[in-house]
Amino acid sequence: MRGYLDTLKVIVQIALRNLFASRLKTLIVGGIILFGSLLVVVGTALVDSVDASMSRSVIGSVAGHIQVYSAKSKDELTVMGGMNMESPDLTPIDDFAALRRTLLSVPNVNAVVPMGLSAAMVTAGNTVDVVLERLRDLARRKLAGEDVQAAYESEKDHVRQIVTVLSADMDNVRKIQNEKAISQEDVDAVAKAASAELWAGFDSDPYPALEFLENRIAPLASDADMLFLRYLGTDVDAFAKSFDRMRIVDGQPIPRGQRGFLFAKWVYEQQVKLKTALRLDRINDGISKRSKTIARSEELQRWIKQNTTEVKEIMLQLDGQKTASFRRLLQGELGSQENDVAKLLAEFFRVDDANFARRYHFFYDRLAPQLELYRVRVGDMLTIKSFTRTGYVQSVKLRVYGTFVFQGLEESHIAGELNLMDMVSFRELYGSLTPERAREVQEIKAMAGMKEVSREQAEAELFGKQDLGGAASVGSAQRPVDEAETALRSLAGRQQRVDRASQPYDPAQLEQGDVLNAAVIVRDPGRISQTIKDIEAAGAKAGIPLHAITWQKASGLVGQFVTMIRAVLYISVLIIFAVALVIINNALVMATLERMPEIGTLRAVGAQRRFLLSMLLVEALAVGVLFGSLGALLGAGIVGVIHAVGIPAANDILYFLFSGPRLHPSLSPANVIISLSIVLAVSAISSIYPGLLAMRVSPRQAMQSDD
Amino acid sequence: MNHIVSVSNVSKNYNLGQVVVPALRGVSLDVAEGEFLAIAGPSGSGKTTLLNLVGCVDTPSSGTVTVDGKQTGLLGERELTRLRLHTIGFIFQSFNLVSVLSVLQNVELPLLLQRASTARERQRRVLELLDRVGIREYSKHRPSELSGGQRQRVAIARALVTRPKLVLADEPTANLDSVTGTNILNLMKELNQSEKTTFIFSTHDARVWAYASAVVRLADGQVQDRVSAEEAVRAGGLPVGRPA
Repeated sequence: MRGYLDTLKVIVQIALRNLFASRLKTLIVGGIILFGSLLVVVGTALVDSVDASMSRSVIGSVAGHIQVYSAKSKDELTVMGGMNMESPDLTPIDDFAALRRTLLSVPNVNAVVPMGLSAAMVTAGNTVDVVLERLRDLARRKLAGEDVQAAYESEKDHVRQIVTVLSADMDNVRKIQNEKAISQEDVDAVAKAASAELWAGFDSDPYPALEFLENRIAPLASDADMLFLRYLGTDVDAFAKSFDRMRIVDGQPIPRGQRGFLFAKWVYEQQVKLKTALRLDRINDGISKRSKTIARSEELQRWIKQNTTEVKEIMLQLDGQKTASFRRLLQGELGSQENDVAKLLAEFFRVDDANFARRYHFFYDRLAPQLELYRVRVGDMLTIKSFTRTGYVQSVKLRVYGTFVFQGLEESHIAGELNLMDMVSFRELYGSLTPERAREVQEIKAMAGMKEVSREQAEAELFGKQDLGGAASVGSAQRPVDEAETALRSLAGRQQRVDRASQPYDPAQLEQGDVLNAAVIVRDPGRISQTIKDIEAAGAKAGIPLHAITWQKASGLVGQFVTMIRAVLYISVLIIFAVALVIINNALVMATLERMPEIGTLRAVGAQRRFLLSMLLVEALAVGVLFGSLGALLGAGIVGVIHAVGIPAANDILYFLFSGPRLHPSLSPANVIISLSIVLAVSAISSIYPGLLAMRVSPRQAMQSDD
Repeated sequence: MNHIVSVSNVSKNYNLGQVVVPALRGVSLDVAEGEFLAIAGPSGSGKTTLLNLVGCVDTPSSGTVTVDGKQTGLLGERELTRLRLHTIGFIFQSFNLVSVLSVLQNVELPLLLQRASTARERQRRVLELLDRVGIREYSKHRPSELSGGQRQRVAIARALVTRPKLVLADEPTANLDSVTGTNILNLMKELNQSEKTTFIFSTHDARVWAYASAVVRLADGQVQDRVSAEEAVRAGGLPVGRPA
């Protein structure tokens, strides 16, 4: 043993001194190894951290650990991050109760949340419509003798103010573009709305004027953007329980058994909030969270420009009193003598780095309380129209109960673009055949005189059993007209049934109906792939053919993002170490060739071949261990620094991947072990060829006077 | 008298591409223990080839070489290496010290390879030899810090450190000036006397022969004759008919 140790000592000594003797070469090889192992440590630590944080994001927001959907579906399921806004075409699973039973029969399954994904266009109130409706109401009450004079006058002022704003806006557009940009009809309509005649007779007979304003003027105030909403129908209680990062921000959760809608806070801010306020928020974020300055950021400058040119949005909200109030406030704040509120607002929004903070607070403290900051408020009813699966339009009116966020993901649109809806309303919009709907369809069919006709008999049934030209005896043709009318009335009556959608439902309905997909929360996340197999097997056994997919797959492109980064990292590591391998190999081959006489001498004086092999191996490993450890150490240091400082999430995709505003990557022993293993393997492999070369050196090489 | 080396009817051919070059042609030679044998001959006469065969770094194409009772042609690579390690010491024309090791470590190396002795034993043996060859004070130096003669002394110490029965020296004085060469020869002769080690050295330097117990003269791969040192010197060191 001692002898071995001493020999090893001499081998190490020779190897190290050889390395020292060719310092430059050693340093070059070492540098490459150092960089490689540093890259592996830092890279794997980062990717692991992103993987962990992203999986927290995905699992904790919508996907759960596993998503299941019908194996009969046409599309693959993705619950988030799809590039196209369309929801995947999934075949519904009829009986959620049975599905839940089946899933819970798999031991690792802890909870099941029913789901359905869809999207709808929603019209949120147009300011002018709202104002006109209020005015109509006040006019009616005034005519009925109620004492609403002051409010009535203010509202009337507001409408006239709106007309003025629209008129000015039109003039602007015509000036900037050309005379024909706005049709003469619209110009005339606004002129009429501003005219003294229209308002002269308003107090005594407001209705013709109101009708004119509602039909001709309101559509001109194009602030009523359509909202495009993606929503997730679910058992909201079960959802909140399983996805415990969900927090209500405004309002309250949808009460059990109630139909309702929860806005994702991100959607609520981005789409529903007054655009001017949203832009102020963005500027504020840019300055406070991303250390931008107005002077240097074109983005911030663009938002400021938009705010100064698009004051119409605010102007439309101002009635007489508010106009006066705004004028006073803004004149005071700006120290201006200007009387035109539009110009004052434009001036106010022309902010710079020096005055932004002050104006931002002024806006929210003094101006905002007089404005409707959100087009849809918590408590409002929201009419959601959507195409059903079979292609007709279905609408449901739902109360907006509030807004919610996933904690830690507040600023990510990937986690924030899904709004929530109760499952029963979702089924309604999706066109599922709920028991009451089935009854309804049955009634309509009966009234319209329809009957089921099998395909084989259809021709005979419709065109008569004889091919003689006898009159077709299709029953409905002979139905009396009054029965058809009844059927039509029934169809019209549907509208009322839909209004009943705001009525409570029996929570048992959640279980009974169909679902498109379901999120599965497991007990042990380490066994997801086995659980997926179990689920599919259980589904097959229960006669519910299921696809079960991991959260990575379910999250679509987002989930594959980390896999992609990992692939890129591994490929670059592979390239670096392939290069390192070649270089180390070459360096050792050169060293071997240079030392042929010395190696020959060692052989001559009695060194076995394995002594030389060990010598080269030790040389390679020494470089590997020394510089590999140095690289790993340096990498660990870098990860430590990054951990302390955190990588800021520069955009909302990163925000989602980082599962928060900053990524604090941490180093795991695995990162270092992987790095050192790769380095050692590469070192060992690269010494194979020079080792073989050295072994072939004959001791005769020592004899120089070979004759 | 025992023969430490016995070469019997040995031929050695080298293949240089298509051409077969005969280096030795039917050489027979017996070396008794304790001899101080010189092998003389001009370049290309086969001196080094013969030393290679005797030194077990090569095996004959035909014939037999027996070293310390072992027929080298029957031994495998590892056994040959072991034989070299335990029985033979080498002294090279250009010293061939390991440049990255100190004098002491160079001398110690064969003992380490043998793995037979403790560190203390090795230390004592190495220092004793360094004393004998007169460079103990340089034990910590690197070979590059020594003169040619000093390096050859280190090489001699290395060759003798394992107490080999046989020391082979390939032109040991060729790279040294005459005074240093003489000193080295004196040293080798002295060690030959005191340690009873057999020395075989190749040389074409006539002054060296005077030290030899016998001179074997080679020409064209064949043994010309085996003469005493005096005869060799008288004959001008060269085989019959060849002027110096």
